[in-house]
This record gives sequence, structure tokens and C-alpha cells, in this order.
Amino acid sequence: MTFQAIYTLTDLRILLRETAPSHEFDANQKVQVQRLLENLERQVGSLKQEMLK
Amino acid sequence: MRCGNGIEARQVNELFINIDPIQAGGRLTADAMKAVIAYGDGYSVCDNCRKPNRLDYISKPPIAEFHKDVAKWLNMDAVRTVPGARRGFQAVAQTYVNKGDPVLLTTLSHYTEFLAVEEAGGVAREIPANENKLVTPDATAAKIEAVKKESGRAPVLAFIDHVDYQYGNTHDVAGIAKVAHQYDIPVVCNGAYTVGILPVDGKALGVDFVVGSGHKSMAAPAPSGILAATAEREKEVFRTTAIVGDVTNRKFGIKEPEMMGCTLMGATLIGMMASFPHVKERTKHFDRDLANHQTVMEALLSIEGTECLSEYPRKHTMTRVDTTASFDKVAETHKKRGYYLQSALEERGITGVIPGATKVWKFNTYGTTRKQAEHLARSFVEIARGNGLVVTA
Repeated sequence: MTFQAIYTLTDLRILLRETAPSHEFDANQKVQVQRLLENLERQVGSLKQEMLK
Repeated sequence: MRCGNGIEARQVNELFINIDPIQAGGRLTADAMKAVIAYGDGYSVCDNCRKPNRLDYISKPPIAEFHKDVAKWLNMDAVRTVPGARRGFQAVAQTYVNKGDPVLLTTLSHYTEFLAVEEAGGVAREIPANENKLVTPDATAAKIEAVKKESGRAPVLAFIDHVDYQYGNTHDVAGIAKVAHQYDIPVVCNGAYTVGILPVDGKALGVDFVVGSGHKSMAAPAPSGILAATAEREKEVFRTTAIVGDVTNRKFGIKEPEMMGCTLMGATLIGMMASFPHVKERTKHFDRDLANHQTVMEALLSIEGTECLSEYPRKHTMTRVDTTASFDKVAETHKKRGYYLQSALEERGITGVIPGATKVWKFNTYGTTRKQAEHLARSFVEIARGNGLVVTA
């Protein structure tokens, strides 16, 4: 789960690189960002459950 | 934000379009970043190292398979990973060059090729590039004859840059290798700017060795690279150790002296491996990168006084331009002097041009998206117009 969250952040990082310097996302990229952020929230939620139980 | 004591987190490629001539092809892929996170520990790839205990035999992670895949991809017979292209040059020079031996280089050769020759005790003999900054087969033949006349023997080795670091020009390696082989001279193709950027076929080039740079052109961490050899040369440069300790009587199995045993043992290798499928794929689409580069070149050349010092039309995305009669004219009176150009570029989210450079400078657009290339082109024109230069397009 730790790796999953870091890897999701890595995918977001790549998007920042691909859209530098404006970081204006097109429609597809917006969908991608939305999906990645939702995944990240879920992954952090699981980490909380696992590590704080 | 810091990632260690005094170490700022580096965000150059997240905040800017980076056109640094040597950095473009070495930016990591997402998979390489992920692999480096998981394999950052020192001997991380060695967990499953089993007899015969050599890096290129490890099957988990699939290092052995990677070596075979890279050899096949380059149409060569054997590959080893090395800590940078320079270590590939060094391994070959140490194998073939003895004290006083003449070695062919060119007037556009990278300095590490010279150092490899020097360390082996060789004597550098440069093939001159012509007025178009190209090294030709004819010039090669003439230089070999000159060396023979001078020293009574042909050079023992030749280093030829596929695309040189000074102009980013593409040289006729196949033609040069053909000439060199007529004199039985083994040829090293320095593919630091081509392996991982555009298709490279070692057999079609007719060379004995292909050297590539992981951190320059294969989206891998530094220092990394590859040395590929033909079946004939493999036995020579990748020969195994024969040394025996006189007290312990120890021998060292199949370790290779020129590789100093195992080479890349952690994040460097795993990063190169993780990027490899993407790198293979991207070389098939080099035309897109060239088209993006052309867009930027046309914008630059529309600024009156700007000259392209590299061959034109461009065959590579790294180019040397002369802006002495354009951007440098502005620098003469600008309050920021020569630093205004870098400053104006950074205001537009562009980095990688040497600070203060307004005369002769290089840049590389490899890996930029179409949108980023258009932004680059627009920015150069805006800066020119904003500083009173004439733009013709």
C-alpha cells in the first residue's frame, strides 16, 4: 500500500512534467488527475487503517 | 522543500521546460522513478544472485533477460551495462590500446574518448571534420594513411561519434567503419546521443562496438550506460579473469576484468531496465521529436541575425545556434547584460540555456510535447520582439 500511494504521486509528478510550465490540463488529463487523486485518497485511507489499527 | 540535510528537492522538470542539451534524453520515465524508489538500497538487485555470481546472470529481477533484449534491440551480440558511456570507452581502450599505439578519434570527439585513450597509453589522432562539421569516410581514409606514414602502422582502434556532442550532427558511421575495417581497425560507435533516442542498428552500421549512455539518452539514473559488442569482439573485451592469488590460490570465476566484476548493482540498473520498454518505443517515434524541434528552429531562425551552426535541416534535436547578431546585440545594452535571455526564458518557464550565453549556445528539445514545443517557439519570438529584434515570419 505504501508503494501504491507513492506510485500514484509519481504518476501525478509525470503529469506535472508533461504540462510544464503552465500545468494547464486538457480534458483527458483532467480525467486522469481526478482518477489519480481519488486513488490516492483511497490508498491513504487504507494506510491509515493498516498502520493505526 | 528538502529531501535531506541541505538538499533541496529538485523540481526543475516539474516547473520548467528543460532544454539543457545533455539532460533531455535522461529524464526518467514514471516506471523508472517507481523502480528507483523500490530499489534504492545499495545491493538491491543482488537478492537473488546465484552461481555463477555475475550481474548479467541474475534472473530476478530480469537482468539477464534485459541484457539479451538490449543486444537484440541494437542488433549486436552481447551487452554489458556500464557506469556511463565513458566506462564503455575505457573498457574497449584498455583491451586494444597499448603504450604508444595510435588511436583514431575525430575533431568532434567527446573528451572521455580522449581520456580512455590516454589512460591506456595511446596517442590521439583526430580525423578532421569538414567545413560542414561532418566527419567523412574520405577524411578517415586520409587520416589513416597519414598515421601509417607517421608511425609506420595503422591505428589500433577508432572512436566515431554517431551524433556528436558539439553540433548534434549525424556522421556516416557505416561509411567510416567500412574504411576502418579495410585496415583491420576495430570501430567503437559512440551512441551517447542516439542509443535510446532514435533507432540504432549496430550490424547495419558495421561497427564492432556500440556504446550508449543511460543517463543521457535512455531515461536512466546516472551513472549508467551500455557497451554492446559483436560476437567476435565479445570474447576480447568481455574476457573472463585468469588471475590467481599466490598465497590463497584464489580465482574469481567468470568475473570480467574490463567490467571490474559486476557493474550497476542497484538504482541505476533498475531505472534503466524499467525505462527500457518505453525507450524502445520512443525511438520509433523520433520523427515527432524532430518535428517539434523543427518548430523551435524555425522560430529561432525567423529572428534576424540568428544562425544554425549545426547541419540543417536538423536530423537530431540537439542543436548549436549562433545568436551573436541577434540576442547578443541586445545584451550589449541590456541592464542584465547577457543574463537577460536566461532571465526572460525563466519568466516563461523555460530553463537549460547556459546563464549568460547569448552568442553561441546549444539546446535540446527532445521529449517535449507539441504544446511545449510551441511554447518554446513562441517564447523565443516574443523575447526577440520585446527587445527590438526583427522577426521575419
